[in-house]
Amino acid sequence: MSGLSFKARIALAIQREAGRVSSVLWITSIVFAMRFLMRYRVKNASILRKRFRAMMRDNDKPLLICANHLTMIDSAVVAWALGGSWWYIFHYSRMPWNLPEYTNYASLWPSRIGAWLTKCIPVRRGGKRQDVYGAIDRVQHLLSRGETTLVFPESGRSRTGRVQFDSIAHGVGRILNSVRDCRALCVYVRGDRQKTWSTLPARGDSFYVDFEIFKPESEHSGLRRSKDLAEQIVAHLAHMEQKYFARR
Amino acid sequence: MTREEIFKKVIEIVRPYVKSQEALDSVNDDTNILEDLKVNSARLVDIILNFEDEFDIEVEDEDADAVNTVGDAVNLIQQKIT
Repeated sequence: MSGLSFKARIALAIQREAGRVSSVLWITSIVFAMRFLMRYRVKNASILRKRFRAMMRDNDKPLLICANHLTMIDSAVVAWALGGSWWYIFHYSRMPWNLPEYTNYASLWPSRIGAWLTKCIPVRRGGKRQDVYGAIDRVQHLLSRGETTLVFPESGRSRTGRVQFDSIAHGVGRILNSVRDCRALCVYVRGDRQKTWSTLPARGDSFYVDFEIFKPESEHSGLRRSKDLAEQIVAHLAHMEQKYFARR
Repeated sequence: MTREEIFKKVIEIVRPYVKSQEALDSVNDDTNILEDLKVNSARLVDIILNFEDEFDIEVEDEDADAVNTVGDAVNLIQQKIT
C-alpha cells in the first residue's frame, strides 16, 4: 500500500501523462542528439535490446534499474541502450523514472519543464531527510504500479572512475525492501574513452552496456537491512565492472 | 539511562563523522546533524546504525527519517530503550 498522499499521486499521474503524450517528441529528440549530434554508439545494441525486451515480456514485476554512474547523462544512455527509442513510445511504463539532483538542472525554467516531462523526480542530495524520503515514497508508489525507475546506488558520479563504496545510497535497499516482488536490474555502462567521471561522455564514444537481474538477500531487519541490500547492489556492480575490465 | 547520558553518548558517536568540529563545541538539542555539523548524508545511516549497536535497539527506516537534529536522535533512542 502506497503511503503517498492523494495530491502527490495525482501530481505523478499528471506528470506521467504529460510525458507520455509528448514522448514521441522528447524521446526521439534525445536519441537523435545522442546518435547524430554526439555520435554515440551502443555496442551490440540489437542483441542487448532483444535480451532486455524479452526479459520485460517474460516478467512484469516491478523493476528498479541500478546503474553505475560516471557522467551526467548516464540515465539517458542506459535507457537508450536497453530499449532504443520507439519501443518506449509503445511501452511507456518501461521508460525509467529518474532522480536527478535538483540543483543540477533547476536554474533555468526550460530545463525544469524538460525534466518534468522526462519522468524526473528531483532530489536534493544532503537536503532535508523528509524531502529525500518523499522522493523514495514516490519511487515506491511508481514501482508498485508497474513503472520502472533508474537509480544510482553510488549516490553521485564516481570520482575514481570505478564503482565506489564510500557513499552508498541506502535508499536503494529501502526501495527493494519495501516494494513487493521488486527486482534489481544491475546495469554496467561505460564508454570506451571514459577514463574517469565527467559531465558528458566524449563525442563519438562507444558504450559497453551489460545488465543482470540481481536479488540481494539479507538476514538483517530495519535500517541495517536496507543498508545491507544497497551494499550488495553496489558490490554486484563492482563485480560487473571487473568483468568489463577483464574483457578489454 | 538519563536523557543527559544518552545525549553525551550520541555526541561521542557522531563526533568522528563531524566536519565542523567548532559546531560540536556549542552542540545542543536543536543542532542539525547534516546542516550544522556538516555530516555527509550517507554517513547519517552509519551513525544511526552505531546507535543501534551502542544502545541495543533496532531502528526502522521510517524512524530514521525523523532524525534531523541531535535532539531527534536522543528522543528516538530514549523512546526505543524505554
